[in-house]
Amino acid sequence: MTPEGVAGRLAALLGAGTVVSGTATVDVERTRWVDAVTTVRDDAELDARFFDVLLGVDLLDEGFEVVVRLWSLTGRHAVHLRTRCPRDDARVPSLAAVFAGAAWHERETAEMLGVAFEGHPGLTPLLLPTGFVERPLRKEFVLARREEKAWPGAVEPGESTPNPRRQPLGAPGRRR
Amino acid sequence: MSSGPPVPPRSRGVIALLEENCTVCMLCARECPDWCIVIESHTEDLPPLGPRGRPRSRNVLDRFDIDFSLCMYCGICVEVCPFDALFWSPEHSYAGDGPTALVHEREQLRDWMASVPPPPAEDPAGAPPD
Amino acid sequence: MEEAHGAPTLTGVTPTTAPATAQAGLRPTRHLVDAGRRFSLWVFDVGLACCAVEFLAATAGAASAPHGDVARLGAVPTAADAADADVLLVSGTVTAKLAPAVRALYDRLPGDKHVIAFGACASSGGPYWDSYCVIPGVGTLLPVDVWVPGCPPRPEALLDALRSLEQR
Repeated sequence: MTPEGVAGRLAALLGAGTVVSGTATVDVERTRWVDAVTTVRDDAELDARFFDVLLGVDLLDEGFEVVVRLWSLTGRHAVHLRTRCPRDDARVPSLAAVFAGAAWHERETAEMLGVAFEGHPGLTPLLLPTGFVERPLRKEFVLARREEKAWPGAVEPGESTPNPRRQPLGAPGRRR
Repeated sequence: MSSGPPVPPRSRGVIALLEENCTVCMLCARECPDWCIVIESHTEDLPPLGPRGRPRSRNVLDRFDIDFSLCMYCGICVEVCPFDALFWSPEHSYAGDGPTALVHEREQLRDWMASVPPPPAEDPAGAPPD
Repeated sequence: MEEAHGAPTLTGVTPTTAPATAQAGLRPTRHLVDAGRRFSLWVFDVGLACCAVEFLAATAGAASAPHGDVARLGAVPTAADAADADVLLVSGTVTAKLAPAVRALYDRLPGDKHVIAFGACASSGGPYWDSYCVIPGVGTLLPVDVWVPGCPPRPEALLDALRSLEQR
């Protein structure tokens, strides 16, 4: 099915559906999260039964967004379902009962962003070492070593001391 | 130096610095993704070239270190240098015996220039220059 | 040329398999291809990332190389168990989660042991030096004898590093 066709089917099933960056996407209230994913999974027309990935996005003031990507092996189309939770109430219902594989994705999202998945069978850390309490994928997380080490490129030609107004911006290695 | 069979001349073993070409533009230090290159310099004034010339100045290198324990041999520094002061050399046997032994300073980077191969001949089947 | 234990030299290299003449209960006879090179230190590779693949290609994979890499470069005896090794070679990125396991492997090496940090990640963290979960070089965990630069280092660089270790 084309992304537009998928979006149309999502609109029929869940009341909304658009194409975002080439993939049919639907935003769902977190109270309906489990029902919406189950509906898409069980719909014969969409046949999106393959759980691809669950990930979290830090949207700063708008809270956290949890995105699920489902894939249809027969129709060869993807479906993105998204839900949001506020930053000070970072809870989302768990999809572990709908897709068993979502359990590990939720563990990773929980430890990296600090989102709690209610109803998850065991939200233990997956990738981070024991004792690591911070949430590395939150925007306010600071890479300590980049703060400690002086960026060699801050030094201007003809000088030996760094110019504080020159800073590497954004992602590591990018200055723009 | 290394023993064993010769490696291909274009292999990326170590980076050599030709200090005469370096104008301390700092591009290599800024573009290095790993922050391996540390450069310090000062400005020197030069007399004008003629009776009606203007005062000139040039940048003089005080320090040019490459930390090869961090280097991932991507070649961005060699590519970005506008003045062809950095060169690849196929030398690969410079394992260090201490934590700072892999930081090569100006003199050592100049010594590597001796092992820099001549540039490859132009490919006769290549596209003509614009 | 004769091999160390007086057994006939084989033209191939099988550093970890026992020949038919080995007595039961003894360690496998070391087969060394002598092309002017001979390594007596047994290496245990802590293979963590891409450098591990390069280590395999330089040592075990060389045995089956059609153009006779082994005769060119020499054979590196690799130990199957850390308790049989003289050298711990850390190849790849050491994450904070795996650091205790690397330390435990080091503790298993008997007596007079050495450590080689193979590649940029093992030497300093490499491209991941600024990560929140990467050890910035195995030298912060263990006493390292040789740091081999490279991303990944060439097989020739590995053999030269082992040779420099043997000469100490």
